[in-house]
Amino acid sequence: MTTTEIPRFVRADGPDKVTGSGRYTADLTLTGMLAAKFKYSGISHGRITRLDVTAAREMAGVLAVLTDADVPDVHYDPQIKDRTLFARDIVRFEGEIVAAVAALTPEIAEAAVAAIIVEYEELTPILDPEAAMDKSSPLVHEDWESYEAGSWLVRSGNTASFSSLERGDVDAGLAEADQIISSRYVADGSHAAPIEPRAVVAQWEGNKVTIWTSTQVPFDARAGVCETLQLPTNRVRVIVPHLGGGFGGKCGFHFEAHVAALARTAGRPVRLVFSREEEFTIPDRRREGIVVELTTGVRKDGSITARKANVVIDCGAYIADTAFFPQLAAMHAVGPYLVPNLMVESQIVYTNHQPSGSVRAPTAPQVCWALESHIDEVAKAINMDPVKFRLKNAVDTGMVGPLGQTYEEIGLRRCIQQATEAAGYGQELPENEAIGVAIGWWPSFASASGSYVKLDDDGAGQIITGAQECGTGAVMTLRQLAADELGMKPEDFEIIYQDTATGPYDMGATGSQTLLNNGRAVVEASQQIAEQLRELAADRLEAAPADIVLADGKAQVAGSPESAVPLSKLAAIAGSGKLLLGHGSGSPPVAPPIVGANCVGDQGMASWVGPQFSCHAVRLRLDPETGVTRVISVHADHDSGTIINPMGAHGQVEGAIIMGIGQALTEGTRYDETGKQMNTSLLEYKLQTAADSPSIHTQFVEVFTENAGPHGAKGLAEAPNIATAAAVANGLAKLIGSPMRQLPMTAERVWDTISEGGS
Amino acid sequence: MTTHLLVATTLDEALAAMANGARPIAGGTDLVVGARVGKAPLPTELVAIDRLDELDIVGMVPGGSDDPTPLLFVGAMVSHATIMNHPLLAASYSGLADASALVGSPSTRNVGTIGGNVMNASPAMDTGAPLLAMGAMAVLQSVSGSRTVPLAELWTGPGTTSAGPDELCVAILIPRRMGEEGSAYVRLEYRRAMEIAVVGAGAAVTLNDDGTVAKAAVALTAVGPTILALTGLEELLIGTPLDDLSLSAVAMLASEQASPISDLRASDKYRRHTVGVMAKRALEAAGRRAAGETIAIPVNRAEGIGAARNAAAQNGAAK
Amino acid sequence: MSNQETSKSVFLNVNGVSYPVTIDGGRNLLSVLRGEIGLTGTKEGCDDCECGACMVLVDGQPVNSCSYLAAQTQGREITTIEGVAPSPEEMDPLQTNILEAGGVQCGFCTPGMILSARALLERTPHPSEEEVRIGLSGNLCRCTGYARIVEAVQRTAAGAKTATGDTGQ
Repeated sequence: MTTTEIPRFVRADGPDKVTGSGRYTADLTLTGMLAAKFKYSGISHGRITRLDVTAAREMAGVLAVLTDADVPDVHYDPQIKDRTLFARDIVRFEGEIVAAVAALTPEIAEAAVAAIIVEYEELTPILDPEAAMDKSSPLVHEDWESYEAGSWLVRSGNTASFSSLERGDVDAGLAEADQIISSRYVADGSHAAPIEPRAVVAQWEGNKVTIWTSTQVPFDARAGVCETLQLPTNRVRVIVPHLGGGFGGKCGFHFEAHVAALARTAGRPVRLVFSREEEFTIPDRRREGIVVELTTGVRKDGSITARKANVVIDCGAYIADTAFFPQLAAMHAVGPYLVPNLMVESQIVYTNHQPSGSVRAPTAPQVCWALESHIDEVAKAINMDPVKFRLKNAVDTGMVGPLGQTYEEIGLRRCIQQATEAAGYGQELPENEAIGVAIGWWPSFASASGSYVKLDDDGAGQIITGAQECGTGAVMTLRQLAADELGMKPEDFEIIYQDTATGPYDMGATGSQTLLNNGRAVVEASQQIAEQLRELAADRLEAAPADIVLADGKAQVAGSPESAVPLSKLAAIAGSGKLLLGHGSGSPPVAPPIVGANCVGDQGMASWVGPQFSCHAVRLRLDPETGVTRVISVHADHDSGTIINPMGAHGQVEGAIIMGIGQALTEGTRYDETGKQMNTSLLEYKLQTAADSPSIHTQFVEVFTENAGPHGAKGLAEAPNIATAAAVANGLAKLIGSPMRQLPMTAERVWDTISEGGS
Repeated sequence: MTTHLLVATTLDEALAAMANGARPIAGGTDLVVGARVGKAPLPTELVAIDRLDELDIVGMVPGGSDDPTPLLFVGAMVSHATIMNHPLLAASYSGLADASALVGSPSTRNVGTIGGNVMNASPAMDTGAPLLAMGAMAVLQSVSGSRTVPLAELWTGPGTTSAGPDELCVAILIPRRMGEEGSAYVRLEYRRAMEIAVVGAGAAVTLNDDGTVAKAAVALTAVGPTILALTGLEELLIGTPLDDLSLSAVAMLASEQASPISDLRASDKYRRHTVGVMAKRALEAAGRRAAGETIAIPVNRAEGIGAARNAAAQNGAAK
Repeated sequence: MSNQETSKSVFLNVNGVSYPVTIDGGRNLLSVLRGEIGLTGTKEGCDDCECGACMVLVDGQPVNSCSYLAAQTQGREITTIEGVAPSPEEMDPLQTNILEAGGVQCGFCTPGMILSARALLERTPHPSEEEVRIGLSGNLCRCTGYARIVEAVQRTAAGAKTATGDTGQ
């Protein structure tokens, strides 16, 4: 579908955004507002031997200086309580916050930060997650056993969380194989890199605090503030102004409590705005580096007999939200293939790097890149076309997947067929060009989520939701759902959102879950109003409520359109009686059971609600003399269930693919030998530009899924970020003659691989 | 730290300010960015020279008494955007136009000037290699007079020049390019925009009537403390055609003479190899231009350099 | 040198309005627009001229306001995103088209993108797709993948009449 064929959908927040009138957090100014700056450790691992803030506190214009001594003694993080707001005794990565300052101007705050004296006994940084797994390795957290943690977690030393997946008998399966192929892949870390650097503003009135923050998860942010500053939820209000992108990078609880604590001490509102360098190095939301070792047994006919895999994920200094990553990564080391015998061991390991966290489809693009590169190796080993190999082994409707989940109707094979056909896979290509193909999968995350809907006495609607808009348009699409239920137009509704004091709970702009979960809530709330409207109309039109149809802004009797009453009239009647108020929270779909497989360290990731599938076919061109790769076009086919807002859906796929090309070619975190990041600017950490971006051709394979979101919708924002890098890799491998073993596949790495004559 | 900015309206005013210790600023793409990222604080005294229209001129001037060849005068305030779109420069000084067309982004090309690029003396500057290959000189002026310095003598190291603190670069002079001369600049880039050269090469070539090389010069970007002029080209090229054999020999020569460092952008080994590739591609493009072929500015985009050779189809065209 | 001597009163012409401001000579235009003049539509996304979120027009030409000294713009005409729409009730076709083509997601790059596009169309009224892509290459967008933004610029160049429709206002 070209863009001109896509139905028009003008975002409710669009005019704010194109005229410059929309406010983002850093745009807010409050009377008496101070500037916040943090003092960072600047070293990856060390013991604080002296911390003296006296000089900073005495500086003119400085109103607050805080350290660990000044805040409640609380350890936090959702899954393992391994962290404190300010460094206590040990610093574990370069961006550890040692102290915070609030001052009249950013310049004074910076000078005060410089005046803080900290001395360290430097400790050897632990930087290699594989080495850190060794029993003899020094520990990132000496006290790991004393931390409060989820009882389901399997932990040991630097291994913060371990999962395994097991099915059948892997050794017997390998013994049946005609060929056994083993490979090792290493993916570097990378970044979400939203264009808006984060900002937080906090203001106290009495014992209540309002925090404006650039978070994707206002309720999580509130929970973090409440936990660390020991406040009840009803005294903390988190408001998100317009959010300038997130991609997972702004999930989690970040700095809201630091700024709130500064504001309380200073008795003034305080604003924190990050520089780009801080945005790169400080938050616990780096995309994790991963080492993936894969062994596959295959028969000459192309059937897979067994898979063995070992996955090691670089956790960084703190667990953040990553405890479920090993299981998620393990699923991606299996992939959407029929694998009768498997054994995957997967762990996330503490190091002295910046902490990892959920960035757009955590673990998936990296592990998919490894698995799909490996699959092409396997197909090559038995002289089978890699697309044919995938069609032979991919899971399909009614089949039992590798972990024992039985699939409802799914569209993976159609995705493969359509994407490769549209891309012209198999055609003769000019020299140095190739088409690489990869497939991916991703769950839809079911969660509790709430919304109110009301119609006021003039018939104008409001949706008051806990959902968070991070740019995807998911919240904007809620208008469509309410309008469909009530026979109204989307523009008849305004959305009140991103405020924990007005909307009911929602998980936030995370896990591609907004439309899936909050959409159900909005539908439920709207249905309650629809029912009221039908009753009111039935009275006036002398018909049974069941015979009333809501359409075109009117309630009418089915089959007699002349017998109708405008909704505004019904709203006016309701306005002096029983108000038109709906509230919904939907019922989260439950993950299907798994049969015939075992998981250790299970965190509910082994079977998926509303599983999404995709196939990307990437045509690229290689300059063999330099290793520089240009992507020419991408054909992407997705099964994300029913598409409710086609324009938004296409936008998600297109943006994710460009991000995926960046991950494939130019985006990778570089560390020095002490564990500090070196490429912390947008010049050295290279996002793709408009001039680099290829043409993208998206098709949706819309299969109705019962066990999913409203009208059979699945999630969407993360899935298209999964298979692109893998498809690029497979195109490159064709041209080079051997796979690329490290991500990103930079020009120099490609050239190295060519020079070595393959790896 | 406070800064005093004088917005100069005449050259004399600017030179007087510089005599009193002010640093010149035009587009701010080096100075202000450098201050923002903490490289060096802004100087306390600045003089803005972006309104000196007499320095925003491109034209021919007569040569000196020792060499009467007319010279191209490019005022120091001429922006990269002006250079890349200037018909005379695009046609006869194509290498310079190639380079300006690759600088940063449309906005940096709009405010960034040739004078600023040359005087910033970064070994990764894009205009440096073609200017050096074309034998360009800088005109430096101060309250006490003016002098002309060949660029090879101007650049003394990364970010340093032989200009005095009171001397303002007012123009770049380039010996006139004869009809049979062609020039080109190509660079290795990981993205098609917003890049700083990983390595690059500029070349200027004059051909004999039979298509063999009469004169050739090549200079290399980002493989040493300053832009590096390739030596020993004459023996390899004079009287020979620009074919695969001679181009490969130049590539080897460039790789040999390069003394690159390893940094975030590339290893020394990769730079040494790719600068050879860039040298031969620049020379080839310059030779084709010298032979009368039109290759659009910049060569990188016209030739898909950084992607497959001679693949005219670009991202846009391939759709 | 003391503050009194270096901070100067200057007039900046922004979107047709002359603003008196007292600023240090080293202040960049972005911080003056946002902090002194109160126009926050121009965004700050990086530290080093690499994202384009701070793009404004100075005498019609695109400038990264983060690395341009405010005092250098005296006597010149500055256009920010707030000055693009002809009136509060009416949007510029670029604004309408970028919205209707789906070129806006988080919106943080949008002001800079619109100003770069305006400068491009001023210079090249009928750009090819490649020219649009090069013209917008100094503005990073992390959300959209650029395709719909490029389309919006081309639609604007073609003078496509877009239905006014719902703008949410």
